[in-house]
Amino acid sequence: MNATASWLPEIGQPLLTLNSVTKSYGSKIAASNVNLTIPRGCIYGFLGPNGAGKTTTIRAIMNIILPDSGEILLGGKPLDGTMRDRIGYLPEERGLYRKMKCRDQLGYLAELKGVPRGEALERADQWLERMGLSEYRLQKIDTLSKGMQQKIQFAATFISKPDLVILDEVFTGLDPLNIELLREMILEEKDRGVTIIFSTHMLAEAEKICDSICLIEGGEIIIDGSLASVREDFPLKSVRVAWNDGTQPPDDLPGVLHRKLEDGSWRLTLAEGHDPKGLLPILSDAGSLTLFSANRPSLNEIFLEAVARSRGKVQS
Amino acid sequence: MNKIYTVIRKEYLERVRSKSFVIATLLGPAIMSLFILMPMLLSDAGKDDERLVGFVDPSGQWLTPLTEALAEQDQGNVQLVVVGEGNSGPEERIEEMKTKILAGELHSGMMVDPDFMESRQITFYNQSVSTLVVRDEVLRPAMNQVLRQAHFRAESLSDSLFARILTPTSWSSILLSDDGEQEQDDAVSMGMAFVLIMIIYIMVIMYGNHTLTAVIEEKSTRMVEVLLASISPEDLMVGKILGIGLAGLTQFGIWTGAFYVLSQRGIEIGGMSLDVTFLTPVILISFIGFFILGFFLYATMYAGIGAMCNTVQDSQQFHTTLAMGLVIPMMLLTLIIRAPDSTLAVVLSLVPLFSPILMFMRVSVSNPPLWQVGLSWVLMAASIWFSARAAGKLFRVGILMHGAAPTWASLIRAIKA
Repeated sequence: MNATASWLPEIGQPLLTLNSVTKSYGSKIAASNVNLTIPRGCIYGFLGPNGAGKTTTIRAIMNIILPDSGEILLGGKPLDGTMRDRIGYLPEERGLYRKMKCRDQLGYLAELKGVPRGEALERADQWLERMGLSEYRLQKIDTLSKGMQQKIQFAATFISKPDLVILDEVFTGLDPLNIELLREMILEEKDRGVTIIFSTHMLAEAEKICDSICLIEGGEIIIDGSLASVREDFPLKSVRVAWNDGTQPPDDLPGVLHRKLEDGSWRLTLAEGHDPKGLLPILSDAGSLTLFSANRPSLNEIFLEAVARSRGKVQS
Repeated sequence: MNKIYTVIRKEYLERVRSKSFVIATLLGPAIMSLFILMPMLLSDAGKDDERLVGFVDPSGQWLTPLTEALAEQDQGNVQLVVVGEGNSGPEERIEEMKTKILAGELHSGMMVDPDFMESRQITFYNQSVSTLVVRDEVLRPAMNQVLRQAHFRAESLSDSLFARILTPTSWSSILLSDDGEQEQDDAVSMGMAFVLIMIIYIMVIMYGNHTLTAVIEEKSTRMVEVLLASISPEDLMVGKILGIGLAGLTQFGIWTGAFYVLSQRGIEIGGMSLDVTFLTPVILISFIGFFILGFFLYATMYAGIGAMCNTVQDSQQFHTTLAMGLVIPMMLLTLIIRAPDSTLAVVLSLVPLFSPILMFMRVSVSNPPLWQVGLSWVLMAASIWFSARAAGKLFRVGILMHGAAPTWASLIRAIKA
């Protein structure tokens, strides 16, 4: 695909490795002993609530901040400034030059990634077309809607044909149509062998698109692995249940960890070793049931359980 | 290196293509010449206005000679109006004159002492301080001449002797340099030196400030994180400063070129001809050198401060303090002109922050030893190096910093870290 492809590992082999990366700001530890291995060609979810340490870890990968300790390897080699050109980055804090024309903006950002000027402008035109923004190519950024600006930013991330792309909260502020468009583009890029780190606090979004995930909380990684293996590690079950008259679930249900009202039905998360069938008689006694189904746990439920486990560990 | 060039190119073109740059380039010289012309025009303004000065002279002998003296001095617009006709006494005349001054009929009024030959006493009546210009620049010299003439006549000395005595001495000055000697018009040289210094002052402060706002803009548009994913903070800073500096140099070059062409054609402004002989190679090279070094010294400091600030407001206190480095030497200029080679002048002009203005002034009005000029350049270059390193550090620390406005203490901590 490009000149530097020779250093790329095979698909599925480790592309990015973080070894005991730690970074603190004063007394606040933003990333604590982070160990990660991200294989080439996957979409890797970087999950966790706001302030968990996702952005700090990403900035360390981008060489924008220097970690206090630990090492970051790209294709087995220590990361340095020149490797940045192979990484595309869409920061959570979006930024574009408001007074610059769309085409110049994309061209400039491509040039800064080492694409020669003529080719940079050519690619800018291609990407504007792909985004359906060709008619705006000579317009200034600030004449565009927020959603269009976001699409320009997205194009700017991929314009240098990077091998690794980091997307931080990429879908924030987009309408469902555009979310779908970008999701398809992300999958297309993945099919070309691009590795994508997908950082978000919206676990439901991640669940739809990621192959592997890690969950970060309080600067530490508490879950890491492929979606399938994560689900295996958390053999939780959950039950969706609803009554015709809006009855609430009884207070003392055996084995229920969490309860949550979602779209008019209750989601009950069960602790390990508890069977949904055992709940059915109690629930049907409470009123006339209109819905009862047993589900896989959502990432949200896994996350809550994982946080509870890791906090329990700290306490004991 | 390519990336620095990309940043330079973008920053340079963005500025040079902007409307404000074109307007400033065109209007700059107009405003600059207005600065020079305004005082001249202002001093000329009002010269032709008729001024009626009330005149009370109990002895009755001074009206004619004073009128003649005023005419001789080309001050015909100042008209003497004798107040009080017939046999009214001096007191009544003065009262009448006061009334007329207060009523605005008279600009001012003067009462010549009855025994003026001996007492030399004149009382001047007026309504505002602004009339004192007429008193000091028109009436007083004329009256002095009248009195002197009266004394000469009283001693029966001839008028021709009087004229000869009053003729002032005539001086011409020759400027000596290694290249030879030449006629010198000191008023023009001094004026030119001031113009060039004003250019350095305005350009350094303006483009320094450009650097500051450009860096802050990068932060406030959140552009910086996108950029840092492609380029190191140090390279980004160097690219920005060079790009903005080149835009400044372009403007500077256009002005200097236009100025040179105009002066070659012998343009005259208000009777003062532009003198190219002042622009010796030494002065021209110093002019460009001090501008470039001055710009980079201030721009690197401004860039570092910009990286630590989130808004232009945050940066104001630092901006004011830094600008002092340029304002203080402007205030010291008269001191330097009076004794350009005194120890104080030498020491002050070697302070890197002051050098662009003070050392250049010394080069313009005097002939400082070459080693002093060279030393000031070396000191400035060294300061630029230190300031660039410090700014690079501030860039790394500050550029992603959002939140509280920085203080001098936090700035120094960040540089030391």
